[in-house]
Amino acid sequence: MKIIYSELQKLIPALTADKLRLRDDLTLIGHFVSSVEQIENETVFDLEIRQNRGDCLGYYGIARDLSVFYRIPLCLPQSSLPAISSSYRLPINVTAEKQVKRIQAIRISRLQNSASPPWLKKFLNLHQVNSINTLVDLTNYVMFIFGLPNHAFDVSLSTDNLVWELNRHFSQFTTLDGSVLPLPSGILMVNNPTTALSLSFLGGQSCAISHQTTETVIEMAVYDRTKVRQDYRLLKTTTEAAIRLDKDLDPKLIPIAFTFLINQILQYCRGEISSQLFDYYPSPSPDTQISFDPELPSLYAGIDIPVDFATQTLERLGCQLLPNGNKYSIVPPSIRKDINLEEDLIEEVVRFYGYHQIPKNSPIPIANTRDITPKILYLIEKIKDDFTDLGYDEIRSWPLVNQTENPPTAIITQNSINSDFPYLRQSIIQSLRNQHRHYLRLKLVGQKFFEVGKIFWQENSQYIEQYSLGISNPDPKQLSTDIEKVFGDDCPKDYQMSNDSGQYFAQIVLDNITPPQHYSFLTKTNSAIELTSQIITLDANVSFPEKQNPADLIKQYSQKINQNILWQLVVVDEFFDQKTKQFRYTFRASYYNCDDKLAKNTHSQIFGLKI
Amino acid sequence: MNTDLKQVREDAIKQIQDAKNSKELEAIRIRLLGRNGLLNQLFAEMRNIAAADRKQFGANLNQLKTILEKLINDQSVSLKTTINPEGKTLKLQTLTSTSLPKLGHLHPITQTERKINALFQNLGFSIYDGPEIETDEFCFQRLNVPSDHPARDMQDTIYIREPDVLLRTHTSSIEARLLSQEKPPFRAAFPGRVYRNEKVTKSNHFIFHQYQGVAVDKDISLKDLIGVFDLLFKNLYGDDVEVRYRCKYYPEVEPGLGLDLRCFNCHGDGCSVCKGAGWIEMGGAGIIHPHLLQFASIDPRQWRGFAFGLGLDRWVMAKFNIKDIRTLLGGNLAYKPNQL
Repeated sequence: MKIIYSELQKLIPALTADKLRLRDDLTLIGHFVSSVEQIENETVFDLEIRQNRGDCLGYYGIARDLSVFYRIPLCLPQSSLPAISSSYRLPINVTAEKQVKRIQAIRISRLQNSASPPWLKKFLNLHQVNSINTLVDLTNYVMFIFGLPNHAFDVSLSTDNLVWELNRHFSQFTTLDGSVLPLPSGILMVNNPTTALSLSFLGGQSCAISHQTTETVIEMAVYDRTKVRQDYRLLKTTTEAAIRLDKDLDPKLIPIAFTFLINQILQYCRGEISSQLFDYYPSPSPDTQISFDPELPSLYAGIDIPVDFATQTLERLGCQLLPNGNKYSIVPPSIRKDINLEEDLIEEVVRFYGYHQIPKNSPIPIANTRDITPKILYLIEKIKDDFTDLGYDEIRSWPLVNQTENPPTAIITQNSINSDFPYLRQSIIQSLRNQHRHYLRLKLVGQKFFEVGKIFWQENSQYIEQYSLGISNPDPKQLSTDIEKVFGDDCPKDYQMSNDSGQYFAQIVLDNITPPQHYSFLTKTNSAIELTSQIITLDANVSFPEKQNPADLIKQYSQKINQNILWQLVVVDEFFDQKTKQFRYTFRASYYNCDDKLAKNTHSQIFGLKI
Repeated sequence: MNTDLKQVREDAIKQIQDAKNSKELEAIRIRLLGRNGLLNQLFAEMRNIAAADRKQFGANLNQLKTILEKLINDQSVSLKTTINPEGKTLKLQTLTSTSLPKLGHLHPITQTERKINALFQNLGFSIYDGPEIETDEFCFQRLNVPSDHPARDMQDTIYIREPDVLLRTHTSSIEARLLSQEKPPFRAAFPGRVYRNEKVTKSNHFIFHQYQGVAVDKDISLKDLIGVFDLLFKNLYGDDVEVRYRCKYYPEVEPGLGLDLRCFNCHGDGCSVCKGAGWIEMGGAGIIHPHLLQFASIDPRQWRGFAFGLGLDRWVMAKFNIKDIRTLLGGNLAYKPNQL
């Protein structure tokens, strides 16, 4: 959510922190600032609002938090409607009683709507919302200030005979931008008896406000958030209003925000109120009462947080504190729908005290606790060490595969976006085979590698998963020998083995192996390479008058080649030429993450070849 | 490997490679690997090494022994097929490495998990595990995320049998199982693979790795948790690492914390790695929400715990200079055959 610094100062005029300080402080108290920008001579913060803080999807909620953090006063806007002379009662009907928590509405006549004043256009522009006209822009402005969506109807198009209902009659809905949405039954809407006017989270074209609008009904409402979410997801349409109505909003905030909106409209569009205030609020939510021990924030934080700090913080947040022995009975402000437990109050105290005040050098004391490690995890670590000691490389691969080995027992995902890989693997060899083929594409041949991972299947409606070891080697005899070396007397006799284009694979289900009672793994470190292109292998013959030690030659020539492109250097042949009386050595160099040209140039230069 | 062993290794390799005939090679073998040979002497000296270093020294020594055995074996074959001095026949000699046999490698994720595991094991944590096919109950409900909770939006779920059976979206499901299976006090850490229904791209994967931990005891506090993290980050990144703790919402903890690391690329100035923030988000943590304990029939008035969760993939990518997240799961990850 975007926040303009100067707009925030209208609610907390004593706010003087510089923009970087404010960025860091907002982040520390839970409103992560992802960016701070200077746009149109304004400082604009982009905040990530916590999912349980619907109240902070408006300036008002953020300002409340900052006023507590900086211990500065919050200045609320004008809080009363002008005197209403009209006795007219709006003929509004609510049939969606379970879905509507509260509505306030009023009719305003003799409006003079026009283009918005520059400050309003600028405000909306900084919030990346297009300016339409003053009346519409003010409804959006107030939504950003208080986080409460609201709507204006052109009475000449909609009448004021509005009904909040679940759709039964309409098959489609035309939005303000002219898009036509197919309309399922049961969608929460505002209609008149003949026309679909508005969705709970999106206005409609049939009663759109224009410069010619002179009569309007303004409404502000809070709904059952799960219903709004269900609707906008069904219609695949998200709006600023939907984002807010999806959260737990405070019906008790409506009178403050709605009054502010009406006063803004009267100030900028003129006009006069021509109805009584309509206020539908059939079931006011009861206050939450929480027992609070002011010593607990210290115990939870592990540092001393004065009791006075705890109580003053809660008071500043708008909580009512009633002493009850050594504890307090706390009534949180209705806007804070996220405060329901004593732990929520503890978090409030600790976050305003500051996590940075907690020392960083006191980790949980070392304890001789009971070992609850499943023994198979020891087996897995031992196997990894044993196979790497034998020269095998560990791989990890996708447990989801594109084919299944035994369809009747296969487990298939229902909704994976990556629909080419719907099956959970039934054998780890499937994964090793894929890796081998990929290595071949990269021109990596003769690889020795292994993976430990899960395999899956279903049996009697039960989903089964087992740890499994897969090992691969181009030499089947060596593969068998290595398996025997690792498992010794415990070596399974009937492990699965197969081959594919010169590479051999074996699978051993580890659940069938007796695990060690304990194993201390090694904290090995080794490099790993991300190959971005095929390995390029080139040969070169080099002659010497004397016999050479091939290993010394490899060492000597390796040092001349850039290690960032040298994969491996091998001497594959040595030959004594009778005619020249020279010893000729054939080098085979493999290069990686470079193109042909670089590989050939390097090769020619190092081995003295003609290009 | 410490410096002494490195020297021992280099000297031994040179001796083996310089052997001119089988007799000389056998003498070298006895000198190095015989009953009274150099390696056995080094094994005997292990008792003089500090306990903290003994395990690693032993491991390195075992690795050296394996390497030398292989090298002597290879050299023995080579000496039996030396070039015909008359030079009439070609003798093929395949050397698969500059000086050592093909080395095995651990996956970068495993290396990182082990490094973190070692730290937590020293603090008395066990390593734990749980199923990858999970139920809605353990993946969401027992973590204080009922069906209409907004937190579910963040975690697009891959279902096996909607709505009850799914692939776990986070390792917190292991926490839910741990709480339900063990009686406090306990401490456990659990690395694991998780699944989210996302398109696979260079920067996003539908399978990734998390590292989660839980400690339940009496009088656990945020100070214990923050101290553990400081230790962990210093262990991974060195003493100069700067970590920030901020309030953050997670349904399974209260109070909740977000953990940020000062950007290792720009050191706080803002860059593409940290998206201009100067900090990189590393994970979340907090005091276990009382509902989680109640779901597991653990009395929250008697027991308190902390829990944390970290994403491993981006750490590993930064450490191993991997630019494409897909590399971590198969594909283009490879290891130089002769280089650790």
